[in-house]
Amino acid sequence: MTGELLRSTSAEEPSVAASEIAVASHERGSGGVAILLAIAAVVAAIIGARASMVSNDANDSWQSALRTEVKRSAAAMADVQTLYESELPVAIEALQAKVLAEEMSSAQAGQSPAAQQALAVEASVQSQLVTALSAGLELAQNSSYALPSGGYDLGKRLADIRARNPDLVALNPDGIEAAGDRLAQKAVLLTYALVPTSLCALLGVLAQPLRRDRGWLLSSGFAALLVGVVMAVGTEVLA
Amino acid sequence: MIAPDTAAELNAERRFDLLAAALIGAVAILAAVLAVIQIASGQTAGRAQLQAARLTADLSARIEISSIAQDSALTMAQAALALSIAGTSREIAGLANNEEGAFAVGQTEHQASTDLASALNATSGTTGGSPLDAYTAGLLKATTQDLWNEVTEQNRQVDIANDAGTRNSASILGLSFLALAGVLIGLGAVLREGRAGWIALSFAGFMTCAAGTLAVLAAI
Repeated sequence: MTGELLRSTSAEEPSVAASEIAVASHERGSGGVAILLAIAAVVAAIIGARASMVSNDANDSWQSALRTEVKRSAAAMADVQTLYESELPVAIEALQAKVLAEEMSSAQAGQSPAAQQALAVEASVQSQLVTALSAGLELAQNSSYALPSGGYDLGKRLADIRARNPDLVALNPDGIEAAGDRLAQKAVLLTYALVPTSLCALLGVLAQPLRRDRGWLLSSGFAALLVGVVMAVGTEVLA
Repeated sequence: MIAPDTAAELNAERRFDLLAAALIGAVAILAAVLAVIQIASGQTAGRAQLQAARLTADLSARIEISSIAQDSALTMAQAALALSIAGTSREIAGLANNEEGAFAVGQTEHQASTDLASALNATSGTTGGSPLDAYTAGLLKATTQDLWNEVTEQNRQVDIANDAGTRNSASILGLSFLALAGVLIGLGAVLREGRAGWIALSFAGFMTCAAGTLAVLAAI
């Protein structure tokens, strides 16, 4: 149809024929431009959507790291309070009574009868205090917490208290945050693939008015698109 | 042969199409660059904010738990000292009242305070010790210098979040300019190479330049 139109008009008016030729030439290769731009748009949309999803996952991981941090510190706080504010003050009283009872008993030798009696009474009082205060107190009763110097191994006791909830001790917000960092890196790498894809769009739209260079512009556009796709797929697989 | 008027029209149309195409391409590339900046700065801001919040939570726990440990050590030292004072007082009272029993008990209490101090000192020394996990040990053993370092890091994270937030806003503004530029290019394509079409393209070019400037500012 275009050929018929050209033939009929060329006989009547040369200038009109020339413009028709230009239009016909202009239309040739437009299909390639349209296809390239359509593919570039679809690829850019897919890459953008995927990058957004991965970025969202990274943000979720970071949020989870914060929640885990709060949970971990609250658990540690509860265990420390159990030992240092509930058990230890009573255990100190028991230790003092124990030391006094031993000292009072050993000091009786060589003393006057009155002094011996006073020391015996005091030793008895302190012994009863030890019994009363140590009752049900794991830190004072369990010999595995006793130090050679007579004190208590607080590190070991707190470790045992913490071991009651091993899942809380195993909380690792740093690991969760690192996973978020990896996802964030992946999202940024995915968005880098948008750059060659947009370059492809630039070459595609330039191919429309620049008819003489349309061939190499379209080829370069497809090459840029391929680079973008390879970058995106490579990031998805390797990162 | 092409008529001079027709040739001029073709040239004007070609220039218009070329400019529109170049603008569309520039918009596409700038949009990709701004998207990279926006995602990267958005992530940096989000991460820094959460890191600052994490450090705040950690600081709170570290301050409270290390204070508990320090208070406990102080209380233990005071217990031994109090026993020593009580023993000395009882010795003096026993002497003053000629009470052999009170004197002997006071003397023994005074001697016991040394053993008690030694035992309690050893007890304090095991705070945060093996086999306790490293995290809890770190909370218990935190020094004032550790806390200051953590506060400094927390403030740094807040600054990072603010800076990245500014860059994120700039990139979003740039993307908005590009959207406007896209609309103006479309309008120009409809109006074609008349005066109105050229004005639309000119504004689109201005918007694209503004977006480019914002991209540079956001990237720095």
